[in-house]
Amino acid sequence: MTVKIRFFARFRELLGTDIMSDVVAGTMFTSLITTIAKKNPEGYTAIFNEKGAFHEFVILMKNGKRIDIADAAKTPVADGDEIAVFPPVAGG
Amino acid sequence: MFSERERERYKRQMILFGDEGQERLKKAHIFIAGAGGLGSPVSLYLAVAGVGTITIVDMDVVDQTNLNRQILHFDRDIGRKKTTSAKEKLREINPDITVHAIDVKIDETNAADLVGKADGIVDAMDNYPTRYLLNDLAIAKQIPFFHGGIRGFYGQATTIIPGTTPCLKCIFPKAPPKEVFPVVGVTPGIIGTVQANEVLKYVLGIGELLTGRLFIWDGMQAHAEEICMERNPYCEACGGVAKKTTAGKKK
Repeated sequence: MTVKIRFFARFRELLGTDIMSDVVAGTMFTSLITTIAKKNPEGYTAIFNEKGAFHEFVILMKNGKRIDIADAAKTPVADGDEIAVFPPVAGG
Repeated sequence: MFSERERERYKRQMILFGDEGQERLKKAHIFIAGAGGLGSPVSLYLAVAGVGTITIVDMDVVDQTNLNRQILHFDRDIGRKKTTSAKEKLREINPDITVHAIDVKIDETNAADLVGKADGIVDAMDNYPTRYLLNDLAIAKQIPFFHGGIRGFYGQATTIIPGTTPCLKCIFPKAPPKEVFPVVGVTPGIIGTVQANEVLKYVLGIGELLTGRLFIWDGMQAHAEEICMERNPYCEACGGVAKKTTAGKKK
């Protein structure tokens, strides 16, 4: 099955966007993003802390619905899902 | 009532919204938090549109590194207070409006008094702690909060109507770490102009506001999109705030 991952802002600079990922059934949100982010160490550290958890400011969405960071590790992804991962943009 | 000079100045936009719309703009008071990258285009466009009273607040001095994006300030202004520079430019670009430029750091002790009875708050800040403070204030005063943020070629904006739309804390519950952010001047130019456009629509009571939607601009791809946002019923800032007469500005 295929899932589309969209990164925004700084995450997009480091990891690209509109990534189509083939995943096996039962793959969880966090593990999918971890696998993709590890392709660029700087991208990984931008999104995850040293314990391998999402930084608390990271926003996660699945098919337009917010996913709490606390729930992401046990939220499965399904064929056709569109996932968005982005940071708050702070400059002014 | 408008002077002959004002009628000439606003002639081309009064075709769009007439005397009544222009009168609404003239009576409006908008608070702009920051006279930097976002505050520059926001204040300039609100000034030329004829927003009658603009309060703009900043605590900084113009630095040479500001000049790639902060178009309110010129080379000759280096070392001057941003508020002094801002007031001068806004008065020059439109002498028929009132500009209050206040040189102070916005904090919890002064924010409510600074905003006073303004009709809306524009977020032209560069940090989340002050944004959250202004978000709380907008909720307390039941006035709209026009959010913008930029980094590099990326920007975001949304319009917050307390009690109706998600607030800034619903959308971004936690602040990102502080950084010296990279930026090219066109990005705050684009996002600040979106914010000013939102303010005008709100005051005029026309169009569809950027409510419940996060506008996202990717300048590298020249691509704009939006992500729908929902209120968080457990939001620590607005969770208990009920819908009020938020359409008060609608015609």
